[in-house]
Amino acid sequence: MKKKFVLLVAAVLLAFPLLTSAAPIKIGFINSITGKEAQIGENLTNGIAMAIEDLKAKGIQVDLVKEDDGGDPKNALAAYEKLVTRDGVIGVVGPYTSGCANVVASRADQYKVPLLVPAAAKEEITMKGYKNVFRLNAPANVYSSVLMKAVAPYKPKTIAYVYAATDFGVSTVKTAQENAAKMGLKEVANEKYQQGQLDYRASLAKVKAANPDLVFLVSYDADAILLMRQAREIGLTPKAFLGAGAGYTTAQFAQQTEISNLVISATQWTDDVNWPGAASFALRYKAKYAKDPSYHAACAYEAMRIMVITASTAKTSVKLQAALKAGSWNGIMGPVQFADYGGFTNQNNHSMLVQQISGASYETVYPAQFSKKKLIYPFKR
Amino acid sequence: MLFLQALLSGIMTGGVYALAGIGMSLVFGVMNISNFAHGDLMMLGMYLAYFAFTLLHIDPYLSLILIMPIAFLFGFLMEKVFISRVISHPHQNQILLTVGLGLIMSNTALLAFTSDPKILTTSYSSSAFNIPGGIYLSVPLLISFFITCGITAILSLFLLKTSTGMALRATSQNREAAQLMGINVAKMSAIAFGIGTALAATAGALIAPIYYIHPLAGHSFLLKAFTISVLGGLGSVAGAGVGGLIIGVVESMSSTYISSDWKDVVVFVLFLAILLLRPQGLFGKKGGES
Amino acid sequence: MKQFALIAMLAVIAAALPLFIGENPYITGIMISVLMMAALSSAWNILGGYAGQYSFGHAAYFGAGAYTTMILITLYNLNPIFCMAAGIVVACIIALITGSIVFRLRGHYFALASIAVAEIVRLSVLNFEFTGGAQGILLSDLSLWGLDLNSKNPFYYGMLLVLVVTLTITAWLRKSKTGFYLQAIREDQDAAASLGINISFYKNRALLISAALTSVLGSLYGLYIRFIDTSAVLDLRLSIEIILTAIIGGVGTLWGPVVGALLLVPLAEVLRSNLLGDALVKARLVSETSGMGLFLKENLAHAHVLVYGIITVLCILYLPKGIFGLFRRVK
Repeated sequence: MKKKFVLLVAAVLLAFPLLTSAAPIKIGFINSITGKEAQIGENLTNGIAMAIEDLKAKGIQVDLVKEDDGGDPKNALAAYEKLVTRDGVIGVVGPYTSGCANVVASRADQYKVPLLVPAAAKEEITMKGYKNVFRLNAPANVYSSVLMKAVAPYKPKTIAYVYAATDFGVSTVKTAQENAAKMGLKEVANEKYQQGQLDYRASLAKVKAANPDLVFLVSYDADAILLMRQAREIGLTPKAFLGAGAGYTTAQFAQQTEISNLVISATQWTDDVNWPGAASFALRYKAKYAKDPSYHAACAYEAMRIMVITASTAKTSVKLQAALKAGSWNGIMGPVQFADYGGFTNQNNHSMLVQQISGASYETVYPAQFSKKKLIYPFKR
Repeated sequence: MLFLQALLSGIMTGGVYALAGIGMSLVFGVMNISNFAHGDLMMLGMYLAYFAFTLLHIDPYLSLILIMPIAFLFGFLMEKVFISRVISHPHQNQILLTVGLGLIMSNTALLAFTSDPKILTTSYSSSAFNIPGGIYLSVPLLISFFITCGITAILSLFLLKTSTGMALRATSQNREAAQLMGINVAKMSAIAFGIGTALAATAGALIAPIYYIHPLAGHSFLLKAFTISVLGGLGSVAGAGVGGLIIGVVESMSSTYISSDWKDVVVFVLFLAILLLRPQGLFGKKGGES
Repeated sequence: MKQFALIAMLAVIAAALPLFIGENPYITGIMISVLMMAALSSAWNILGGYAGQYSFGHAAYFGAGAYTTMILITLYNLNPIFCMAAGIVVACIIALITGSIVFRLRGHYFALASIAVAEIVRLSVLNFEFTGGAQGILLSDLSLWGLDLNSKNPFYYGMLLVLVVTLTITAWLRKSKTGFYLQAIREDQDAAASLGINISFYKNRALLISAALTSVLGSLYGLYIRFIDTSAVLDLRLSIEIILTAIIGGVGTLWGPVVGALLLVPLAEVLRSNLLGDALVKARLVSETSGMGLFLKENLAHAHVLVYGIITVLCILYLPKGIFGLFRRVK
């Protein structure tokens, strides 16, 4: 009985590779569809779906193989290995989370199938010299540097950090501290919190007591709303709230006007930036999904567009790698080119934007060449 | 000032925790089951409150009148269909059954409501009373706190004064003896699970206006509910109530005076200390120690 | 003797499997996961199945192995074997502290206390700097002391070796004095104590064996994936998965955890990667462009954890003694 069972399982396992078949242009997509990061993952899924639709309208057919990693690196590795060895994709877009992207990136050169990371922020991913790993979005250090540059002309003196105990939170605050030191900002409070808490008042009261000019925040989606509600409740009023991406760049946050007004945040993308197609992408996305696109959706859209357009002429993984390396594009994410600079390899030197919320909508305020509005500082409630 | 602020917001938050802990404790007392789906039942209450607010335009606190009976019925049926079948099985099977039921609930919610967090914004969501001396009291937390006190009082009266309540307590004290005395213990289990579910859903609904609503939102509260019910003594309503307040205050004090990222560690250390020094909890019956 | 012969025979078959599969990293990866879960669950079974102490915190020992190894390698580039040994020491220290707290408790209290200890370990690792905190630890070297980390075979055989050792210890326990004492403790702790069995000593002995084996698997996992963080190696979900595998296979049996892993790991992968929907389309049972085909393609990816939950509930309700329990009933 036992042996039969073992043989049966072995037979089933052996049967998997026999199920493969050939298809014209096959691209893989690894994403966090389930698990803790599923809420951001959904934005990526939507962005990808729109990219595939637009490509079809242009007559480019794509066979997209979607894989869920659930935010677990072990699953991301299995997904990538399945895509490149069983499904025979010639390029992969994803994964979303930094942990998963790190693990998959370290295998890309082994299988020589190009990986285009759309939105994971960890610097390391493109700092190891992997030839087959490309990244569209700007890494974590840019979130803080662009924010600091935007407020530097107003000469703030002190800064407090409030951030989630996550990879993105810790990495971003580390680089923010380096940037702040260069600007001569004095750190007066540092509050790291575990996600999913009900009560942040104690931490915020400590920050309030330190009376900082700037409060630098890193939070995921809904935590941001909670934190800002409680900040308002206890009367925390610095000269500026600086939100680094994620939770401070969602439409849902902007709609909470009584807490969100005039909050400054760093983002990879806005709908009023003057990059080609950005505004129309936002309109079509909103019509389709009944909500505003986040920057993750825009990153995923553009990553998939670049991947498919390049792959449709390259046809093989080796040529795709060369074409990605050599090419340049201009779309909803602005000019894209995968370059080697400052320790990075195949990293798009993406210009991040700073936006400020005004009456429930985001307005780009920095850098000046991409923006129509000016930053309001200090703000009063 | 920091001390008073921490104490008051700790007590208020603790009130909401307490409700989650009481539900857990009651189920444990009567049925001797650790319910790992408790957090997911809270999530159910959050969505009920959200839809009552957005679709029926009922204030989340008023909607409790609707949510409690619905949740009771849900829990009652859940016990009849699933839990009752493992009541005599080993603990780990019971735990894994509730883990499985929790997975089903949270992932059904994920499919039905997507993973986008919902925010329930009321006119008072971020308003606070300003007490002279620079102390702020959240309005929605204060309302939740009073509702919790009310529900705990009604529940205690129900357990002490009604015949069903007395039968529940008898089952909790000694299941076999209660059965011999002619109490329908199977029915008592279903009622206890129904009440436990109703309390979990109420805690969820109370949290809804001050938190975010998400298919996995209940998970942050599961281990807290366990800690509270053990702290108060598994099966003791008053104990869980006090346990909730203690956890709320300990959390808020440790974020103020130690650091916010170590506060959960402080809570778990306290939990282990109570288990070692007073395994029956602050108010519980004996039986946990070897 | 029959048990040992069977272990040896199956080990030889398992050792030969990669020769038949050849160069197929995806399948080999799944088989590594199967072996790892089988070994984790078997190691848990020594404490849970034979001593009746249902630990819900085994992720702590797995994480102890993984973190000790990764920290020592990234900081000091020590020999992996030495790192694993250090991981065992750390896991045993955590186990001794845990044991001194949780073995005084029974039933639910024991389960909850084991969760609390594991959570304290997880949160501490998350908060400390030297553990990489929330950022985790990434290993970027591709070869260590002559070990090619890109190759999957060393990990396949490593996991297999730990599984064989675990099963051999389990089989030996069933025949030894320690094993009898442990089972006596499981059946009736008070009676065992009245017979003069040093309960605490034997419980701790079972815990230490279990923790040491679990920690070696954690070390192997870290080197295999080359990235660890608290949610991957210290999460409560991992502890629950270990127990679930043992229960679905059959707690307290030698082969139960192995059968559980052989079933659950491929099942989870088939559901995750949507191979089920694919297979139905390929077998022309469902057309790819039909409503059903599109539904499978679009939704099964979102629903795989739900299906996993349903299977868990059905197994607990209808196979409370596990699949192995069913096998034995048939005989």
